[in-house]
Amino acid sequence: MALPRLTGALRSFSNVSKQDNYNEEVADLQVKRSKFYEQTVGLDLPWMKIVAFLNEKLEKNEMQSVNEDLKDILQAAKQIVGADSGSEAIESAAAFLFKTFHSKDCVGHQETKAIRQMFGPFPSSSASAACDATHRIASHFHPDSLTALVQTTKEESGDDRVLFGKNLVFSFDMHDLDHFDELPVNGEPQKTISLDY
Amino acid sequence: MPALPLDQLQVTHKDQKTGRLRTAPALHPGQKADRRFVLYKPPPKDNSPALVEEYLERATFVTTDLDWLLALPHDKFWCQVIFDETLQKCLDSYLRYAPRKFDEWVAPSPEVADMQRRLHRSVFLTFLRMSTHKESKDHFFSPSAFGEILYNNFLFDIPKILDLCVLFGKGNSLLLQKMIGNIFTQQPSYYDDLDNAMPTILQGFSHILQHCGLQGDGASATPQKLEEPGRLTPSHMPLLELKDIILYLCDTCTTLWAFLEIFPQACQTFQKHDFCCRLASFYETAVPELESAIRKRQLEDSRLLGDLWRRLSHSRKKLLDIFHIILYHICLLPILESGCNGVQGFVEEFLQVFSPLLQEKRFLRDYDALFPVADDVSLLQQASSSLDEMRAAYILQAVESSWEGVDRRKALQATAPP
Repeated sequence: MALPRLTGALRSFSNVSKQDNYNEEVADLQVKRSKFYEQTVGLDLPWMKIVAFLNEKLEKNEMQSVNEDLKDILQAAKQIVGADSGSEAIESAAAFLFKTFHSKDCVGHQETKAIRQMFGPFPSSSASAACDATHRIASHFHPDSLTALVQTTKEESGDDRVLFGKNLVFSFDMHDLDHFDELPVNGEPQKTISLDY
Repeated sequence: MPALPLDQLQVTHKDQKTGRLRTAPALHPGQKADRRFVLYKPPPKDNSPALVEEYLERATFVTTDLDWLLALPHDKFWCQVIFDETLQKCLDSYLRYAPRKFDEWVAPSPEVADMQRRLHRSVFLTFLRMSTHKESKDHFFSPSAFGEILYNNFLFDIPKILDLCVLFGKGNSLLLQKMIGNIFTQQPSYYDDLDNAMPTILQGFSHILQHCGLQGDGASATPQKLEEPGRLTPSHMPLLELKDIILYLCDTCTTLWAFLEIFPQACQTFQKHDFCCRLASFYETAVPELESAIRKRQLEDSRLLGDLWRRLSHSRKKLLDIFHIILYHICLLPILESGCNGVQGFVEEFLQVFSPLLQEKRFLRDYDALFPVADDVSLLQQASSSLDEMRAAYILQAVESSWEGVDRRKALQATAPP
């Protein structure tokens, strides 16, 4: 329950602010998740680029086992985004999983959080399967080369923009209770009694 | 060629459908990105993992989106701010629900605390950019259009300004003074809004008195009907109801004080509504009753009672501070600044503020303990040769008599901040 506030009363009972209706915002998190997903799909590492990279860098005999791993990742992505999703959505999810796990050997808290933020609740076995498959693929490469692949798309998406106020000195100090009277007991303030003799 | 203000700037862009070049105002809803900001919700009180996770997800969306917004060029930033309702609601929800440090809340996990800090900074920077009409020599608004844009789109309003002061006023006071000063300068209608909000602010104090069965105004001067249930006094109401009243009082006092500290130019508007007299009268009626109500409940939750006592002490101090800020800015500062010339009006104002308070003994005593009235009267005597000595003497006498039967040394110790 919201705390009783002066500004809450002003918003409700005076005519100096906009009377906003927040009820329509109940499902805003779900809408945002899908919006975020759309935005990320547009910017992120495309699945085809990963496949092309692997084809280019690996020998044919290595590609046979890697193809199985790629299938595993696609299968895990399908379970995470739902079987009804189109191939584009599944490939985008697979690329996201590849990007998330390319330098990991197990599903940690950060990875779980990232997947949940992108897709909502998901079966953990699928995440583990995707992680294992990505790990097997990554074992064919020096860690730096896969990181470079992921990094190029980050740069393309323009993460180096300048934020307004970036160098501004900001203080986190906030007003607190500034008077610390003890509750008087029998007319006298409480005294701390030490039992340490 | 000198740059034009953003409100007069036209941009040419290619129409997506027809492929033709079109000229349109730089500030146009079509320039807004479809971003969909989410509302802010405060950290969960019980730190349960599922709720913490939802909080973190939501807060991550808000900070990411605000950082994206802050990185936009000047014109795109303003199109988003003016035309994106989801952004306005997101910012408003932060101001409404962000925990104040004086709120009663469970210590958050380090991850939540860290996220809250990131959010706090991003929200402040967004409001800072929104209150700046000249961002650089090429990126600016004409002042009058800026004032209209802020006001007509409710980008700032009185509750938001009060929230900003209480949330950011301690650590960032200099910047906030500039921000709020600029908003009121570019759009004087905010003074009218403050004037219109004053009855609601005063109503808040009346509600507390009504709730406590202590209403002093005419509204409940009618005799209680026989069949009417007895009005609850603070000593007899349920503890949780008493808690709500004290939390509300604490929030009200701290918010008003934080606002006046940052923007003392509002003191005149407050005093137009006889604020000092009403404040003193409220103090005199409510404070002793609330104190007594807490003291009497020795058999109830002692931790909660101790917390309520601290909040009430804090509120008392803030009420006295508010009174002093107003008195200082409407009377004492002008006297100090103008020396001995033209001070008569301010001296008279001082006497008029105090004259109706001579019966408010508890208030006078507590105020005198923090801000000695004799010092102020002495200033008046030095500044004005025509001071009405009789009225001044009455005031000093009333202050002196308010101390009768009270150990002044102990009271000073109790009232002074640690």
